[in-house]
Amino acid sequence: MKRSIWLLGLCAVCLTGCVTFGGTQRAVIRAKNRVAPGLVHIRPVKEVFSGGKREEVLVVGSGFIISHDGYVVTNEHVAGEARIVRCVLYNKEEVEAEVVGTDRFTDVAVLKLVTDRTNLPAVKLGTSKDLEAGQTVLALGSPHGLARSVSLGIVSVTDRYLGSHGDMVSPYNNWIQTDAAINQGNSGGPLVNLKGEVVGVNARRLGGADNVGFAIPIDIAREVVEQIIEHGRVQRSWLGLTLQEMTRKTDDPTRHGVVIGDVDPLSPAQDAGLKPGDVMLSVNGIPTDARFVEDLPAVEKSIADLPIGEPATVRIARADEELDIEVITREKSDLKGDEIEFAEWGFTASELTPAVVRTAQLPSKMGVLVSGTQVGGPAANAQLDTGDIILKIDNLDVADLAAFKRMYDERVESKQRLVLLDVKRGALARFILLKQDGEIQQADVTGDTLEDGGDHEE
Amino acid sequence: MRNSGAILLAWMVAAAAIAPGSPAAAQDADARSAPYDAVSSAVCLLSYSSEITNPANGSVSKRETRALGLVVAPDGLVMTHGHMKLEDSEPFNIRVTVGWDEDEQEYDGVLLSKPDDVNVCFVRIKHEEPLDLPCIAFARGVELALGEPVVVIGVMGQSLDYRPILFQRAVGAILESPRTTYCIDDRVPFGAVGGPVLDGQRRVVGVVGFDLSPKEGGDLYIHHGHPLIFQADLFAKYIDTPPGEEETPEDREDAWLGVFTQPLTDDFAEYWNLPKRGGVIVSALVPDSPAEAAGLQRGDIIVGFNDTPVRAKQDREVLGFTKMVRDAGVGTEAVLKLLRNGEPVELRITLEGRPKSARDAGEYEDTMFGLTVREITTDLRIMLNLSADVQGVIVRRVKSGSWADLAGFRTGVIILNFGGHPTTTLDEFRQAVEQVADERPSEVTVFCRIGARTGFFRIQPRWQDAGEDEPAP
Repeated sequence: MKRSIWLLGLCAVCLTGCVTFGGTQRAVIRAKNRVAPGLVHIRPVKEVFSGGKREEVLVVGSGFIISHDGYVVTNEHVAGEARIVRCVLYNKEEVEAEVVGTDRFTDVAVLKLVTDRTNLPAVKLGTSKDLEAGQTVLALGSPHGLARSVSLGIVSVTDRYLGSHGDMVSPYNNWIQTDAAINQGNSGGPLVNLKGEVVGVNARRLGGADNVGFAIPIDIAREVVEQIIEHGRVQRSWLGLTLQEMTRKTDDPTRHGVVIGDVDPLSPAQDAGLKPGDVMLSVNGIPTDARFVEDLPAVEKSIADLPIGEPATVRIARADEELDIEVITREKSDLKGDEIEFAEWGFTASELTPAVVRTAQLPSKMGVLVSGTQVGGPAANAQLDTGDIILKIDNLDVADLAAFKRMYDERVESKQRLVLLDVKRGALARFILLKQDGEIQQADVTGDTLEDGGDHEE
Repeated sequence: MRNSGAILLAWMVAAAAIAPGSPAAAQDADARSAPYDAVSSAVCLLSYSSEITNPANGSVSKRETRALGLVVAPDGLVMTHGHMKLEDSEPFNIRVTVGWDEDEQEYDGVLLSKPDDVNVCFVRIKHEEPLDLPCIAFARGVELALGEPVVVIGVMGQSLDYRPILFQRAVGAILESPRTTYCIDDRVPFGAVGGPVLDGQRRVVGVVGFDLSPKEGGDLYIHHGHPLIFQADLFAKYIDTPPGEEETPEDREDAWLGVFTQPLTDDFAEYWNLPKRGGVIVSALVPDSPAEAAGLQRGDIIVGFNDTPVRAKQDREVLGFTKMVRDAGVGTEAVLKLLRNGEPVELRITLEGRPKSARDAGEYEDTMFGLTVREITTDLRIMLNLSADVQGVIVRRVKSGSWADLAGFRTGVIILNFGGHPTTTLDEFRQAVEQVADERPSEVTVFCRIGARTGFFRIQPRWQDAGEDEPAP
């Protein structure tokens, strides 16, 4: 008797389980079928600067078609600096694509398939604002290069704040965190709800964790995509502020605004007299409340969305008074500067960005940043180092990367034996003498360690 | 307990050679063990803490280390491997343990100047009474042959009470460049690094070493994992005259110019159309230094210091100039002979004492918030690329679980203002902390510099009522 009750119980569990599972399965398959035809397996050949050399490497990522004439959305870290992009559509057809534009601040890129077709299967974009933690989602893409893969999970958190790590920044968005498996190669692929609508662009995962992946909310991506299609890039306003959540100063929930933690030198904010410690209450009448870190991206975005080059009224609380301060916005510069290989001298250099200028404590944007040196090359032999900032060449100021390239070309052409570089290294300065007559030597494992090469302090 | 150590050694040696049991064999074993016993009694244990500075961000971490030491003079001179003092680490809290069990004696030690021509360090035992410790007598002028067996004495691990242990090895290779270097044929455990090496005639011919000193070629060998034998002749002079102790006044202050330099190589001379006679290029000046005050400029080439010509063509030759300046005497006027744009110039400079370095920086430990901070010294300012307008104290340690820890403070953060009080000096920081403690606010806003940017931290103290500290009745 006992045994039969037990069996009955088991059947009941199985029955309910099967019914629920069957329903989910149908919904998952339906959702997958709606998106999959628009899924793209992306193989860009990217320009990579490494070890003082420019190289081209093939990478693999994912993307999705958003228009019948072939616009494709993917990640900036997939398609940025790509020379050639080969795409494999869901029907395994291979089509070349061009990079329309990229945005490093949101990690979004737009490609255009090179085709005359106007009947390509496009995905339907949903909205990310209605997402809820616990909601079922699918991630589609090419994990580890395995095209047309689908994984299933739920939304773990809808507004995960991720701080900056080097070039990995996301000032304007929180992230959708999901446990749907996202691996290398999933980047740029769609995160899809059970209605078959794209709600996010898969982009990151937490290394060393199990299924902690992150997607850019589609509402943020959509705006960026529209701007890229229209202008080829995203233009944003810049004030030169580092903002911090209010709880950095007080836990009092009645206090509104956002804390100004830092003001960039030579920025609109500094020109206008804004100071660290001021609390920004509103910009052009729009409240800028950020009590917690998760509130910061929206405030950052409201500043980025201000018209460029126009006055904006910033209302601040300073000590016990409230002040309206007029700030004239400027256009925000790109996160990363252009990079060039100087092959004859065996190194690569990039443009100075405001962030580099700030970190290196430079008085201006003059100079170029050494991004890598080739072992055994003239630059490395002369002890030029990654991170050095070249300020002068043969005692002439280096205005920017283009100017440096011209000066380099002239010297390579003239074959002058010795070239003097004035270099800033941290707080110190150093003279570097490049020899143009030396041939590039093979890497010597031990040779370089013998020479001291350091600065001597007396 | 040294006796037990000797018994252990005796057994090990005997076991290798003779079957135990026969009285004759036991006597033989005693005789054989005698030289090792004498040597092992001079083996001691060095314990010290090190502060390791991360050159990238200036953060400092601590490490506790134990290493083998050798008493090399009865008055308390101990030699160990050069790893004890590296460029980015500074040992402190040095203790020397001599003997075992009831004979065990612990002393405080002081690190002497590290020699630059052999990779060893010396520690002077501090003791009020004169000491007469068992010490090692090295055989000098011994040449080893390829394949010759050697015995290395090391110490075992903590659970084995760091007792001595013998290893039988052989000379596996002899390198003739940059100097005669004996390589041991097989690896040795860390506890044998710095340990005595005995040759076939049981003479102590040297110690186990790893990498050479920077002057000899640096860490070339350690990459290959081959232990070396530092023969006694390399360090004997330091046993006779311990490094640093030969100088007359113990607290003689180093003189300082405040310039960073590079050697005037022949290529630089050619580029600037100068005679190829060497010199020292001024590549950077320290702000507010004697060099800046005297009008020295970046790009000047120093070719003479007082009456001595300065002729550096290579990095290592610049060190001669460094030493010249260091030894010239604080407060003395020096004449610098320069080439400026190719023309000879003479500058008179009053040398000052070297500014306090991070190693000697003042420190303040606040027990209430859990922050240990130190002043920003000139070298730290240069290392962290801080401009003169950054005035604050730098966080050195954050006590785990403290209010500061909860607020997110970490090593390397520079505190500019604490609870509304500027903290440009250690004293100001201490006063600020005391004032905040008196005011007992529910939140303390701290303005800091983190990397190249500024920002705020908020500490939420949990003040206890005055009576709470009292023990319950």
